[in-house]
Amino acid sequence: MGRAPRQLATGRKGIDRRSLLVGGGGAAGLLIAWGLWPRNYRPNLKAGPDETVFNAFLKIDRSGQVIVVVPQTEMGQGVTTLLPQIVADELGADWRTVAVQSAPVSPLYANTLLAKEWLESDWTRLFGAAGDWALDQYATRSALMLTGGGTSVAMFHDACRDAGAAARVLLCKAAAARWDVPWESCDIQDGLITDGADRRMKIGEVASDGVNFDLPTIFPYRQGQDGRLSGQDLPRLDTPSKIDGSHNFAADIRLPGMVFASIRQGPIGDAILAGLDERAPASVTGFLKLIKRDRWVAAVASNWWAANRALDLADPVFTLRGRPVDSEGIDGALEAAFSGGAGKRLYAQGDLLPVFEKATILASEYQVDAGLHLALEPPCATARVTGEGAEVWMATQAPGLARDAIADALGLSADAVTLYPLHAGGSFGRAMDWDAGVQAALLSQEMGRPVQLLWSRAEDVIQDRPSAPAKARMAAKLGRNGAIEGWLAKVAAPCAMTQTWGRIADRKSPAQAAADAAGTSTRLAVAGVALPYAVPNWAIDHYPADVGLALGFAPGNARLHGAFFTECFIDELAYLAKVEALSFRIQMLGGNPRLARCLSTAAAMGGWQGGIEGSGQGIAAHMGGGAYGAVMVEAEMAGEGINVTRIVAAIDAGDAVNPDILRQQVERGLIYGLAYATGASVPYAKGLPARAIMGRMGLPRLADVGEVTVELIRSTAAPVGVVDVAAPLVAPAIANALFTWTGQRLRSLPLGSMA
Amino acid sequence: MTKFTVNDRPVHYRMDPDTPLLWALRDASNLTGTKYGCGTGDCGACTVDIDGEAVRSCQVTIGKTEGRFVTTIEALSPDRGHPLQQAFAAENVSQCGYCIPGVIMAASVLLRRTSDPSDEQIDAAITNICRCGIYPRLRGAIQRAGRIMRGEEQIAAAPPPGITPEEAARTVPALGHPGAQPKR
Repeated sequence: MGRAPRQLATGRKGIDRRSLLVGGGGAAGLLIAWGLWPRNYRPNLKAGPDETVFNAFLKIDRSGQVIVVVPQTEMGQGVTTLLPQIVADELGADWRTVAVQSAPVSPLYANTLLAKEWLESDWTRLFGAAGDWALDQYATRSALMLTGGGTSVAMFHDACRDAGAAARVLLCKAAAARWDVPWESCDIQDGLITDGADRRMKIGEVASDGVNFDLPTIFPYRQGQDGRLSGQDLPRLDTPSKIDGSHNFAADIRLPGMVFASIRQGPIGDAILAGLDERAPASVTGFLKLIKRDRWVAAVASNWWAANRALDLADPVFTLRGRPVDSEGIDGALEAAFSGGAGKRLYAQGDLLPVFEKATILASEYQVDAGLHLALEPPCATARVTGEGAEVWMATQAPGLARDAIADALGLSADAVTLYPLHAGGSFGRAMDWDAGVQAALLSQEMGRPVQLLWSRAEDVIQDRPSAPAKARMAAKLGRNGAIEGWLAKVAAPCAMTQTWGRIADRKSPAQAAADAAGTSTRLAVAGVALPYAVPNWAIDHYPADVGLALGFAPGNARLHGAFFTECFIDELAYLAKVEALSFRIQMLGGNPRLARCLSTAAAMGGWQGGIEGSGQGIAAHMGGGAYGAVMVEAEMAGEGINVTRIVAAIDAGDAVNPDILRQQVERGLIYGLAYATGASVPYAKGLPARAIMGRMGLPRLADVGEVTVELIRSTAAPVGVVDVAAPLVAPAIANALFTWTGQRLRSLPLGSMA
Repeated sequence: MTKFTVNDRPVHYRMDPDTPLLWALRDASNLTGTKYGCGTGDCGACTVDIDGEAVRSCQVTIGKTEGRFVTTIEALSPDRGHPLQQAFAAENVSQCGYCIPGVIMAASVLLRRTSDPSDEQIDAAITNICRCGIYPRLRGAIQRAGRIMRGEEQIAAAPPPGITPEEAARTVPALGHPGAQPKR
């Protein structure tokens, strides 16, 4: 919660947990809310006939099944296991009885943490010190449900814990009343309530009674480690449906009378549909209809292949307003940004000027290409629009915004749109945009029957919202003892997060959002450039740009380029200072023991040889969002290609809820980072990517991935997500490793394809 | 002609014979476990077993499948009991899950040929693309499935589908007798 200025905070006064108890009718039972939520936000959960709603995160049914309500989007990161595990741990449930349900859109599930990270600088500019508080209120009131930036566990850990603790107290009170013992003597283990002696009762037996009791002012949290679920490698709840093909992604929904659609949206930029061959598709078996809008055309057929084939034959032509994007133009726009007027110093510590004056400055330039998501599941949504309203099945990282956009497109009220949040087939930030959901709904409205829209892979590559391309001019002054006395990073980059907000919240067209974001410098575009190292004088400048690409969320966001610039340049300085790269870093981490520990652990486990010539070893460190990580890689040049034979990662992400899922998250980040380092990008020409074939994107396959070791550092800090720290670590570590192999610094990404 | 056998059942698809098998399986048979990822044969999400070979189903038409035997993830086992499925659960392999059916189908063909594959044989057989990063766990999981097939190991990591509430209540003390269940 943001700190509020006194005069604004008065509305909160006197609201405590007790006064927030909200009575519900019928099956809803007694509903509780806690924290600082206004009285009028009630859980809007549906309850089955045998289910009792305990609070916004938890239902329990008569047979003892524990249903945890998860507001976050499962993309593979494990959140539909992690949040239930926190609730079940505090409740005392048997893990085999735990089920998951996606949360409906509600202010109770607003992700104020990500909202703050995303919008803080804008709001602070507008409202000054009150910005933080106002932003919190705004995010909550507009039910800003968001998944991304590794915030899910950090955001909902306490709420899930409270949810479990509150239910445990109520169940214990209900059981205690039946047994006529003090409730404080009761406890719940493995889904059984005990009276502290011999009596046992299943939680389902008193679930409906439980909600008739009052909550204490302070929840007693579970003490001790015996029989705890938290910290265990419990099996993921989504595993069974994902190993037998039964899990329904958006393209797996089947509805009576449903038809299939494919879409073309033209080249990148401000493209308007100009014409197409209306008659050619008629020859396709199963073809039903072409549906045109200003900016796209879709074909509908009885199967998806027929729909897509119909579009091939219709061969739509688009008119592009403005200059078509190409690689030279992207490069030029970034270069020009350095001399543009919108650049600004965003971080400054100490005084660089006297340090740099008349001194020998070491300088290097770096750059990265836009990084494609290439999630295995292309954008997809299934919609059924009838006279009564609309239902949309889709994976979305911003369900509230998606629902509102769909409602507006259909001319319906938000209440008339039901969004069924599904798991995403990877996403990696791509599902922050909701275009496919809106398009599917419009198609269903026009067809008068359910429609499933699936983008082709080519369409996905053309219309991806990749991570930002960026350039950096790094400069530093080394002191006589090899310490860094001054450090300056100038970064030219479009802000992908600002653009994304422009599209998904302000409903700007991709081209407009890109243009509008180019006028303002922001820390969001230089995240990860801020030094974790103790340097007396340093500064970071951001030069915003519009490169002609619409950019979006990605694992790590700006950290992907930020960590590359910083960790490669640190390595260069270590080499010039003739100090071994690991000690060079650690000597500047006196005030950051967690990151230092990651570095020394990765080095020790990896058999770090000091980065000597020919070792093929490289190291990198990064921190953010409460997570710390270091990676050591072994890499070699093999002909024209790069061979990464070993990755050793040491990660401190707090007290892990489920260590094996945390390990999976690290692996997820590392492999995404490996792809980003060696491929996952394309050249652009004439408004289009030069290629759109999945096999030519330089993505690692099993044979390209050598030994991967992940060490989790034990910690008592609050748990956080880690994909966003792991992904940015890989590219600089590989570039640093290849320097020991070739003697040449590789200063641009991608580094080159896999051998 | 577009008549062949899918998961041990004879099927005649009334579709354009040029339709890739993937779309007949998904959109006509509703066998949606087989996924579309690229349409160019690169990602392997659509891998199925045709006459004992691992085939990218987006690359073969239903016309060319005439008379052949197609097996999809849905028929690999009736109860998630295939050694690969159990090993994938035990090793906590799947993340988003989108690539998993294709990977498991490709691996099942490999293990039928050799239940003790080397790392190199696995790398050669599993050319599927996974973006989540299941790779670090994949070789170990496939080799573990091989050990299960050879009878050297037994695991029961993932429960079978369709457990009744009564059955569940017999195993899990916390579960009580369910009330009258609404018909599904």
